[in-house]
Amino acid sequence: MSNFLQFTVFGIMLGAGYAIAATGLVVTYTTSGVFNFAQGAVGMIAAFGYWELVSAHHVPVLAALVIVLILGASIAGAFVERVLMRRLHGASAERPVMVTLGLMVILTGMATIVWSPTTQRSVEPMISGQFRLVGINIQYQYVLIIAVAAAVAFGLRALFYRTRTGFALRAVVDDPELLGMSGVSPNRMSQYGWMLGFMMAALSGVLLAPTQTTGISIPALTLLVVSGYAAAIIGRLKNIPVAFAAAIGIGLAENYITNYIEPHLSSALQTDVQAAVPMIFLFAALVTLPSVRLRAVGRLTSLRAPRVAGGRESLVAGGVFLAVAVVAMLVFANSSWKGITILDLGAEVMAFGIIALSLVLVTGYSGQVSLCQFTFMGIGAFIMGKVAGGGSVLGLLAATAICAAVGALIAWPTVRLSDLYLALATFAFADAVFYGFFSDGRIYGSGGLSIGRIVLPGLSLGSDKAEFLLVTVFFVLSAWLVLAIRRSLFGRRLVAVNDSPAAYATVGLDIGFTKVAVFAIAAAMAGLAGALYGTVQGTVGTTDFDLFSGIIFVLFVTIWSIRTVSGAFLAALTYVALNQIWPSSIGIFAGLGVILIGRAANGILGIEALHFRLPWVKAPAAPPEALAMSTFSGAPTGSEGLSAAG
Amino acid sequence: MPPAEATATDVLTVEGVAVRFGGVAALSDANLRVRAGSVTGLIGPNGAGKTTLFNVISGLQAPDRGTVQLNGTEITHMRPHRRARLGLARTFQRLELFGTLSAGENVQVGLESSVKWWQWRHVKRSFPWVKRGAAATVEDGPSGPGSIAVATADRLLEGVGLGGLGAEQASAMPTGLARMVELARALAMAPKVLLLDEPGSGLDDAESQALGELLTTLANGGMGVLLVEHDMELVMRICDYIYVLDFGDVIASGTPEQIRKDPMVQAAYLGTVTDTEADAVAEQSPPPARSATPEDGAGGARGADEEDDEVAEA
Repeated sequence: MSNFLQFTVFGIMLGAGYAIAATGLVVTYTTSGVFNFAQGAVGMIAAFGYWELVSAHHVPVLAALVIVLILGASIAGAFVERVLMRRLHGASAERPVMVTLGLMVILTGMATIVWSPTTQRSVEPMISGQFRLVGINIQYQYVLIIAVAAAVAFGLRALFYRTRTGFALRAVVDDPELLGMSGVSPNRMSQYGWMLGFMMAALSGVLLAPTQTTGISIPALTLLVVSGYAAAIIGRLKNIPVAFAAAIGIGLAENYITNYIEPHLSSALQTDVQAAVPMIFLFAALVTLPSVRLRAVGRLTSLRAPRVAGGRESLVAGGVFLAVAVVAMLVFANSSWKGITILDLGAEVMAFGIIALSLVLVTGYSGQVSLCQFTFMGIGAFIMGKVAGGGSVLGLLAATAICAAVGALIAWPTVRLSDLYLALATFAFADAVFYGFFSDGRIYGSGGLSIGRIVLPGLSLGSDKAEFLLVTVFFVLSAWLVLAIRRSLFGRRLVAVNDSPAAYATVGLDIGFTKVAVFAIAAAMAGLAGALYGTVQGTVGTTDFDLFSGIIFVLFVTIWSIRTVSGAFLAALTYVALNQIWPSSIGIFAGLGVILIGRAANGILGIEALHFRLPWVKAPAAPPEALAMSTFSGAPTGSEGLSAAG
Repeated sequence: MPPAEATATDVLTVEGVAVRFGGVAALSDANLRVRAGSVTGLIGPNGAGKTTLFNVISGLQAPDRGTVQLNGTEITHMRPHRRARLGLARTFQRLELFGTLSAGENVQVGLESSVKWWQWRHVKRSFPWVKRGAAATVEDGPSGPGSIAVATADRLLEGVGLGGLGAEQASAMPTGLARMVELARALAMAPKVLLLDEPGSGLDDAESQALGELLTTLANGGMGVLLVEHDMELVMRICDYIYVLDFGDVIASGTPEQIRKDPMVQAAYLGTVTDTEADAVAEQSPPPARSATPEDGAGGARGADEEDDEVAEA
């Protein structure tokens, strides 16, 4: 009984920490309509900053808290709103997601540079000591966390529903213009929201840091808030009391599982279960969430879609690309960089290029953000290694088919909801598979999983040249496939469902089927890419399909252009090159890049000023204004046409 | 003539529909019928609940109570795309185009949603209101689903006065023309019932006149048209029957002549009026917005029939 009480108190404390993070997410979402994926990273930076001040520089706790929470977090929140988020008003829906992800990888990248991951760091409790109650020992730190969480929840609830500022904070996301007309600055309200959100993130990081028994770590603290995500989602990202209660429930459930179920499992399985539990809660939250009502928002996208190459043009361009690849293969046949042959690096670019093409399909065309394409890649590589002894065509087919099925299973529960939830589901899936599956020593083995190169009947593709050509051919075929899909009936539907879901449904098309189908196709492509990547590498290990690397890659595709095939190729090229040159700073490059791109939905390749410098990118015929004018001039008027019709 | 009772030609029946948004009753007890081959008007001040009723009929808003029947089939709880497949098409008060696509592609999406892939070669789809006929073009012209779809979309655009504009990006078109693209997209589904939410806004007098002729032609072809419109001249000219909605209730229904003389309508639009003023109702465009009521709460200034009328949860 005393054990149960002890576990309950610790569970409530854990849940209270999640509750603060969840409250911060709700505050930011309520006031800006943006889900801050960097919430965990902000908490992580705050925890490390607090450690730096208190443990390394012996600053008094209270002063450290003021510096971290009041000065650091609130100023950072105001800065992020003013510099990064404000200019995203009216940008395409996936843009804020990308910017907050960019912020996350910048913060984790900077933290890795400042605080070496190899050093052990422990944060002392703010109030040390414990007391005894009903036969159990309770640490003062736990009481502090629970009390702070409750105070935050009640305080914010009162702020939002009892004060004029609170009304304005809630109103700003609904109609900023209307709020502006009532004499309240919508920008200032949004800024307050970000400041509060950052402070909540920092508070959760600082409070939970002392409870990390193995010391604070950058990825662990950054991902600690996945459980907070689940709580915020149960509160539908707007209800603080429900999010608070859900967070407590999740904290309790996690702690009971840790103490009652995990001891009966093998040590390897314990790690897997620990990693999977937050994801299970997140998925359960997504599945049980009521469907989001389709809304006719009446906001026409002003995005000018990049020109889509015609069938013949695609064939010619693909042929030219292949010819250039053959020449490159001959030129660089015997070259290498840092011990890796150039042809292997080239084949790697092509494999990552296929991943990027899958993102063009799922995010660029249909507007769904997938953060787990690297996960499908890892699954594809794993299947390739396990089927028919590795390196078989059967393995390629199995990797493609199984990833398609898994992709459909991931997308299915979330298609009833808005696209944000799919992004969250893919984030949780990538997190759980990486820490619960890929990191399990039994999956890839201590020396990695040997895959080997493809052997066709009567034809060995063992040489670097043959491997490079094979993967290049698959890249070109994938590019043709993506462009063919875009030109097809299905491609029009992908763009249409992104532009106006309400109109899409009312013309008789099933939103759910379309979204699941495209996600499954993209997952299949990622699985194929993973299988090919495995054959290029020969052996794949636990670090090849890292969660953060997957996010960084998505950002590179966004930077170049997530809506074009050329953007996909350039993203893959940049990613592989930077990984060779500055691997430790690649996240910072990606994060800064996506922030600098800002609201340019078509990435670097969509910036018109660059078109004359990039001769292979054809600019659209005319800017929108000119297009509208040409509609007036020389075109039959509506009345003429209608008269003729009548 | 007034469809007080259900008849065999009713293609759309709405009975006792109520919708509340928090403390605001957007619809209290809405009843209406739309006959095949007729244009039925739905008028009322801003905030009366017209768009909410359209959302209920098309499946974008679940009613708190009441039923909706399409061609005798109960569709109250059916998902929007299934209703559309049964022959219900609509346009929106605030444009809902596929902005990244061209005008022609917008129409193609509507067309392709209702034609199965195996039907393309034999498509006999008839758009009688389009002179020269899409079917004839299909038979005589290009082959292959893609080409047929493009050609048919072009013909549909031509039919609503947008000939030659199929390649223009939809979001770059002026509002009046964009509304016609939305109409062409809806017509491409060859619907049995067409819901039009203020199709005349953004059109000049000549275009509005032409729109009226087109809607009459569509109705003559057997389609049931339900028209929400603030252009009273247009409504009174082309509608066979009119319902007047105010504060979520149908306060009057009848022929245009009956509606023009109805004292409740006069009160809803103008307050207490003389006969001369009543005649002026027909000319009035647009009608006055309803003032906010205490029940509307802080957001009461926003009409309950606006598209973004979802009330935030506490």
